[in-house]
Amino acid sequence: MKSLNRRQFMKGSIGAAAAFAAISQSPVRGANDKVIIGVMGLGGRGTQLAEMFAQRPDVEIAYLCDADSRRFARAREAVEEAQNKRTKLVQDFRKILDDASVDALINATPDHWHGLGTIMACQAGKDVYVEKPMAHNVWEGRKMIEAARKYKRVVQVGMQSRSAAYAKKAKEYIESGKMGEINLVRVFNMMQHPRQKQAADQPVPEGFDYDMWCGPAPKLPYNPGQRWLNQWEYSCGPIPGDAVHQLDLARYLLNDIPCPKTVAHAGGVFSLKDGRETPDTQLATYEYGPLTLMLEAALWTPYMKKTPAEIRDSDLFPNWPFSATKIEILGTQGFMYVGRHGGGWQAYDAEGELVRSEYGRQGDKEHQDNFIDCIRTRKKANADVEVGHQTVLLCHLANISYRVGNQRLEFDSKTETFTNCDQANKLLKREYRTPWIVPETV
Amino acid sequence: MKSNRLLLCIVIALAYCECCYGQWLEISNVKLRDEKTELAGPKIIIEYDVNDPNITESSPAYVFVRYSRDGGKTWRLIPTDGLQGNGFDMVDKPGHKQIIWWGTEQTSFTDVNQVKVRVRGLAMARIPAGKFFMKSLPGGGRDDSKEITPEPNLSLFYMARCETTVSMYADYLNEVGAEGAGWNSRMNNSDRCGIVRNEDHTYSVEPGRENYPITYISWYDAANFLQWCGVRLPTEAEWEKALRGGIYLDGDDTKKKPNPRPERRYPWGDESPNEGGVFRCNYDGEEDGFAYTAPVGSFSKFASPYGVCDLAGNVAEWTLDWYSTSHHAGLDGFRMVRGGSWMAVPAACDAITGATQLPLKESSIMGFRAVKGSPTSLLNVEYRTPNIQ
Repeated sequence: MKSLNRRQFMKGSIGAAAAFAAISQSPVRGANDKVIIGVMGLGGRGTQLAEMFAQRPDVEIAYLCDADSRRFARAREAVEEAQNKRTKLVQDFRKILDDASVDALINATPDHWHGLGTIMACQAGKDVYVEKPMAHNVWEGRKMIEAARKYKRVVQVGMQSRSAAYAKKAKEYIESGKMGEINLVRVFNMMQHPRQKQAADQPVPEGFDYDMWCGPAPKLPYNPGQRWLNQWEYSCGPIPGDAVHQLDLARYLLNDIPCPKTVAHAGGVFSLKDGRETPDTQLATYEYGPLTLMLEAALWTPYMKKTPAEIRDSDLFPNWPFSATKIEILGTQGFMYVGRHGGGWQAYDAEGELVRSEYGRQGDKEHQDNFIDCIRTRKKANADVEVGHQTVLLCHLANISYRVGNQRLEFDSKTETFTNCDQANKLLKREYRTPWIVPETV
Repeated sequence: MKSNRLLLCIVIALAYCECCYGQWLEISNVKLRDEKTELAGPKIIIEYDVNDPNITESSPAYVFVRYSRDGGKTWRLIPTDGLQGNGFDMVDKPGHKQIIWWGTEQTSFTDVNQVKVRVRGLAMARIPAGKFFMKSLPGGGRDDSKEITPEPNLSLFYMARCETTVSMYADYLNEVGAEGAGWNSRMNNSDRCGIVRNEDHTYSVEPGRENYPITYISWYDAANFLQWCGVRLPTEAEWEKALRGGIYLDGDDTKKKPNPRPERRYPWGDESPNEGGVFRCNYDGEEDGFAYTAPVGSFSKFASPYGVCDLAGNVAEWTLDWYSTSHHAGLDGFRMVRGGSWMAVPAACDAITGATQLPLKESSIMGFRAVKGSPTSLLNVEYRTPNIQ
């Protein structure tokens, strides 16, 4: 019954020796050399990234890594189909870092591993594509910047909206002054999340290195009913985890405005009362002086829709009133809708007349192109680590305001501390679990 | 006239009969005749033989009939609510079968000789009503619409004993695929999917691949195939109960046959797939005898308590259930896939491990199988692949 072999399906040669032939590492890859990448974290996004990068002719995915070996198959199938070549499967990402032939690490782990995983990769001489939200806490984000700069690494944060061509056109339109002075920007993130299920703790499944999965975070009893996304120890929360895309797009459109002077949060767990720690409703107001940025986000709004599939890469616009991920830019002379996921943008004049429309396309490919290009040229990436830090800072500020009782907080951008709340300052950094400690000096 | 009241005319047609082989159950001697009654209107009588000795009450055949009234250009499923007799839906004994097809529109054929029917049978396992241990819950986020309790109670349903095969899918394509329905670009490499699309838009199976599970099938492809049969995908709960068995294997109505291992990890028990040098399913590597997919039923010794094969390994199986409805996906949400595969580590072939997949995904490690049971309302849903540019 052995009439089939894998070659029939994968077509190309997948001899192990050929597949893993080491390529000598050089600081700048030649134009004809493939960039060798390891992928850390094989959830939905990590698998998607692995597949997309594997489809590039200038990339080879040499490693797939997840603490849970039960996740290997889905990612491996996608990658090996795309590149006709086997990948190594590891549960410990340090094996990727130890391999001198590897150029870059894609870090698509849960939030609590973004910082240390990136810092260790920089220390090992790897460039990094790290998923958003870039850091679990404010202090950690700053250490990621220090590591990237110290070891001269390219760090691209997975906030691809700013790489989309339509975003650049919107930015240019705003900068033309046709909308007058921009005094208010409203960022929306209205989703529909399921309730998590209450259940007893469970034994750790065979094949899952749970200690490694917890890493820098406390090793809480294993309970898959409690989604990591809803727990502060592992996550910035489901709203920041998605809204960070629109926040970053808004920052990009406003010429990467630096961090705000104050933040005030309203919200909490209003609807999804299922034992979660992170809020299901977040309204945050950020003051920048003459500009106010507002985040309006919830997890219980089924009538609000993300940009539909048929609109994402076509000449259509979202139904703006019910667009879950829109940005509204209000100027003294005009108004603009901007959509995420290739939703495009439309501008209106002071009379409310539509004066400009641009359809959009998603920016994933351009963002990945930019990462690979920067690996070769050593330029800063579109969503460089400093950009990533400044954007995720907005999420951290909102969360901290919430966690200290929805207080209005004043923030000093130079020291990256709060000036009016000691309790809030205690939430700028986490406790790290030995041996997974982010050092003061990276 | 009295005689007119009884039977005006009996037309016995040597109707076109077609037997479907491969992984369908062997059905022979299909005959069709048209009986015109005075008062009750027309009726069609379909007769056939199904002689598989393995057909029993606990392992019935699901028999469905499709018909064409335009010489075989287009085909439709005969709705079971218009049928009578012992030869449709769940057939629990082998032998000669008869189906009486009452209807107003469909049976008003001007010439029964122009009518063609195809009778197909699928080997099923009976999963009696009752409680079972749902051990996978509450792992992962799930849709609120799903009832989640540690011991859910499911009503009676039937599950295909084997995964849907290449030959079954090719048969389906030959009926619906002239315009490309059910076919996707990844199937164009016949080495991959095992089916060749011929120049005349007919489909043939690569020799030797008939009994392998069909792969490179999106969720929509799977749902449409099953709707064509009059069945559907299993829910996660049904899938897990079929693997583990109910607390009573004969169901909660009788409770005479306690499940010796109602919380088992694998269909056969708690032993790992490769424990003791015994290979119990098709997982990653070749030590189990298969580098890629295995013909369905290759590990029938290690089937579930109900005789359902390959729930562990071989191909992971699409389920009806959502993972979540909106988060991240933006398209159609993620669907849950269960059962591990030929590429999975042994531990992933257990009863609780699931994976999420976008429903458009076509993969060499994913296939599907049929379930017949409530909620049948799902059969009325039209599954259309989103038009994504």
